[in-house]
Amino acid sequence: MVQLVELKKGNKRSKFCINDNMDILIEILKRLDGRSIATAACVCRLWLSIARSDRLWESLCFRHVSPPPPPGIRPVVEALGGYRRLYTACLRPVLSRLSRRKRLRSGGSGGGDAEVVRRVWRRHEVELSISLFCVDYYERLGGGGVGGRVGDGSASSLMFLCKHVNV
Amino acid sequence: MSPPDSSVTNSGSASSSSSSCAGKPPDHIDNLLAGAGYRVRSSDLRQVAQRLERLETVMVNAPSDLSSHLANDAVHYNPSDLASWVDSLLSELNPPPPAHADLPDFPDLSYADRTVDNTSAWVGEERRHVAAAQQGGIFPPPLTTTTVVMDEDSGIRLVHMLMTCAELVQRGEFSLAGALIDEMQLLLARVNSGCGIGKVAGYFVDALSRRLFTPQTAGLISSAHENEILYHHFYEACPYLKFAHFTANQAILEAFDGHECVHVIDFNLMHGLQWPALIQALALRPGGPPLLRLTGIGPPSPDGRDSLREVGVRLAELARSVNVRFAFGGVAASRLEDVKPWMLQVGPKEAVAVNSIMQLHRLLGSDPTRGSPINTVLGWIRNLNPKIVTVVEQEANHNQPEFLDRFTEALHYYSTMFDSLETYLSHPNKAFAEMYIQREICNVLCCDGLARVERHEPLAKWRVRLGGAGFRPLHLGSNAFKQASMLLTLFSAEGYCVEENEGCLTLGWHSRPLIAASAWQAVPEPSPPLNLISHRNQNNL
Repeated sequence: MVQLVELKKGNKRSKFCINDNMDILIEILKRLDGRSIATAACVCRLWLSIARSDRLWESLCFRHVSPPPPPGIRPVVEALGGYRRLYTACLRPVLSRLSRRKRLRSGGSGGGDAEVVRRVWRRHEVELSISLFCVDYYERLGGGGVGGRVGDGSASSLMFLCKHVNV
Repeated sequence: MSPPDSSVTNSGSASSSSSSCAGKPPDHIDNLLAGAGYRVRSSDLRQVAQRLERLETVMVNAPSDLSSHLANDAVHYNPSDLASWVDSLLSELNPPPPAHADLPDFPDLSYADRTVDNTSAWVGEERRHVAAAQQGGIFPPPLTTTTVVMDEDSGIRLVHMLMTCAELVQRGEFSLAGALIDEMQLLLARVNSGCGIGKVAGYFVDALSRRLFTPQTAGLISSAHENEILYHHFYEACPYLKFAHFTANQAILEAFDGHECVHVIDFNLMHGLQWPALIQALALRPGGPPLLRLTGIGPPSPDGRDSLREVGVRLAELARSVNVRFAFGGVAASRLEDVKPWMLQVGPKEAVAVNSIMQLHRLLGSDPTRGSPINTVLGWIRNLNPKIVTVVEQEANHNQPEFLDRFTEALHYYSTMFDSLETYLSHPNKAFAEMYIQREICNVLCCDGLARVERHEPLAKWRVRLGGAGFRPLHLGSNAFKQASMLLTLFSAEGYCVEENEGCLTLGWHSRPLIAASAWQAVPEPSPPLNLISHRNQNNL
């Protein structure tokens, strides 16, 4: 957020408007964590449209994956609902829960989105998230076949990710 | 005299070993107790037992000076008349000794709940009513103490009563078992039956009463549609099915490595929740996805909807969006043994995977005329020459011939399973998941013969059976183990554990394995075609 404040000051002095240099803006927003991107989306309509673009979320999803994901992954994720949905519905809860478990076991504390971003994500974790994401997509396709939930947008099989961890 | 506890069991077994009460006149004196020096009428036996229990409870909870008073100073009139002696003791104990008034009040919610529960329970029991009246109509602290302590005792007592009742059922003592069921239902009203042992006991008492009183409809028959709904809720509420699906998928994925035409046969398609993950994994595998054929077996839908085909269409849509060539075939069969291999339309050059999630145990029931269908089915599976057969089964021994053994096993198994569900306190699907489990319990306990399909057997037995049918085990690799462990850490409950057992994975709750996943491959036939023909002839007999 410090970078954005400095840019605003520069705005007044040298008539530089970040909104005229979208590529720089995108480069900056690409490096933020999920929560900050969501905050940035509230600035103006231009920023909202950039924040909604999947490229941004793709770089967020795979920023620290080691080893890097297979090349054919982009069409698959896009077909299943896009990177933004992958991150918000699956990756973030999965990784935060896994890292919280690890921290509990090693006796640490604290947390939040920034920590989730900074740790190195192993490929297994990302693969599991994508599999869960796929099941989620499938359930959204047909409501899981259960009559009572036809209009329900939230996938029920991912609900266990949203519940509080029994600390 | 012998301590109350053993006389309770003595009176129980005495009446059962002497001929049943129905045949004797009501004031007949019980033989065996008479031999021990007590005169008790057979018709009174049950009440005497109840009162002895109550006496025991009060004596256990009474302060030490009271029990010494009972032991030394109390005057007993005619102790051989057991019924009135117990009554006299209870009436001595009813006015509470002054020591109880010093006990602190318990201000918490459980006290308030107890009072609500106890009013209804007490109305039916005259003794307690008398006790309450003697306290001036308010609920005093000493009674709180006894009810709180009795709660834990009640749980243990319920378990003992359940075991006794099961033994009575096995021996054919149905009238006594029925009386015991009434007792247990009264006790259940006092225990907290919303969680813990109370809840499990509630289901088991229900199953026993179904077995005794409504044997025709005991099995909780439900339509295929209802089964699917309950299955779906069970899938969402706990990790057992997810573990099964993900582990089997990982094994199938590894077995299909390098093959371009693959065919998966699913013994129980349901909503096809297992397959999206496999389709996606195949889409992302290095070298590109193969042509995937899926044949799903399921029960026929009664109302004209082709539910199998609907599932197939949805899976096909998903496969299309991730660019996997996909073909679906559905086989509608109400029982697995009705499926014939030609219905599966297996091509000659395909790599075949057979996937059975909790289906093989249904084939273990044997018909006197036909024998067990399990051998026939395992035979044709083997003849398909599959690259892998994934088998996931409940890790329990519910197929024993003796009812009491089944009952004991089921009590342990399902109480562990309900325990693992306890953490999902406010999950909306939890009630449906419990109904799903309840159906299994009722089938294990209430049905017999061909109606009993939940014939769970432990992994060791399946190993022997599959080994004898010409399969050799494939080790599930470390990838499957890692994936399963990760999946479990996502669930908020901390008690799940994944263990590796000679190449198979088991998922359990607090070190009791509840579900076991294994993978198998057909041992290649070394013998020339002549032996093959005789093998087939043996299968046809």
